Amino acid sequence: MKSRFNKLEEIDRSGRPFKVPENYFARLNEEIMNRLPEKEPVQPRRVPLWDKVKPWVYMAAMFVGLYITIQFLTKQSGIDNMASRQPVVQPSPAASSQPGNNGSAGQITEEEFYQYLEDQLTKEGYFDYMYDHYYLN
Amino acid sequence: MGMTTETEVQKNLTFALNATPMEMNNDENLLERLRDPHTVRQGFARLVSEYSERLYWQIRKMVLSHDDANDILQDVLMKAWSNLENFRGDAKLTTWLYRIAINESITFLNKKRSQNNVSIDADDSFLINVLESDEYFDGDEAQLRLQKAILTLPEKQRLVFQMKYFEEMKYDEMSDILGTSVGALKASYHHAVKKIEKFLGENN
Repeated sequence: MKSRFNKLEEIDRSGRPFKVPENYFARLNEEIMNRLPEKEPVQPRRVPLWDKVKPWVYMAAMFVGLYITIQFLTKQSGIDNMASRQPVVQPSPAASSQPGNNGSAGQITEEEFYQYLEDQLTKEGYFDYMYDHYYLN
Repeated sequence: MGMTTETEVQKNLTFALNATPMEMNNDENLLERLRDPHTVRQGFARLVSEYSERLYWQIRKMVLSHDDANDILQDVLMKAWSNLENFRGDAKLTTWLYRIAINESITFLNKKRSQNNVSIDADDSFLINVLESDEYFDGDEAQLRLQKAILTLPEKQRLVFQMKYFEEMKYDEMSDILGTSVGALKASYHHAVKKIEKFLGENN
């Protein structure tokens, strides 16, 4: 059976049309070797001290930064916790009726608180006394 | 003037395509020499003597003129020398050298097209004048017609045809060099043959 690609097969492939000058390859090889520049010996590159330690310095700085951040955050959360644990003193109805005492109970010490109660009792005793003498008599 | 025909060297051209274990061992041995600074020059002399003919014919088929092929081949070998350190041995030495040769030839052809104001879409028929005026081409009418037909092909198809038809390169080897799948190469060759047959039929 005849090939579909008979035109191409008709062309003689044994006789090559491309030629080169006589001894071309021998001369080319010689010429190339004569033209080759010398290979520069590869010198090991000197690495500056800073370049050597740079990664370690960066890593150390990162850890220090991390430590400071953690410390700061821990401290903040400690303060918040202390504030939330502080006993909230509810002012008595009598105390809340006193002008200038509103909202100040949370900031007084225990001693001041007892003093406050004592003063109140003293004043109440005084009002009882006055009431007895001026209205009941 | 004395000339060497392509036929005389053709038998050597299939080295890369049908490398035996012994030849692969030779390649390993050559690579060892090329990696050692004390033997690199000696190794390169061996590389040049083993590969320059094959590379020459690949380049010559692409650019057609002997003088141009000679210039490009010298550039290719110089580039190979200066980039030896970059050859990591991932590909075969032949593949690496062929890639350099093909890239250099394509660059040359692009310059030629630009000089001749040939657009990217147009074929490279202008190269036929180069062939006809080349004293190292003595093909008959049929061979000249074949070259004309080849020049009508798109660049990649032409490259595939030349590698397969003239050098009888295996598709696997072509695939490594061109970075194209074997299936695509087979299709490309088939199309090229059909186009050439058509051209030859019309221009008989």
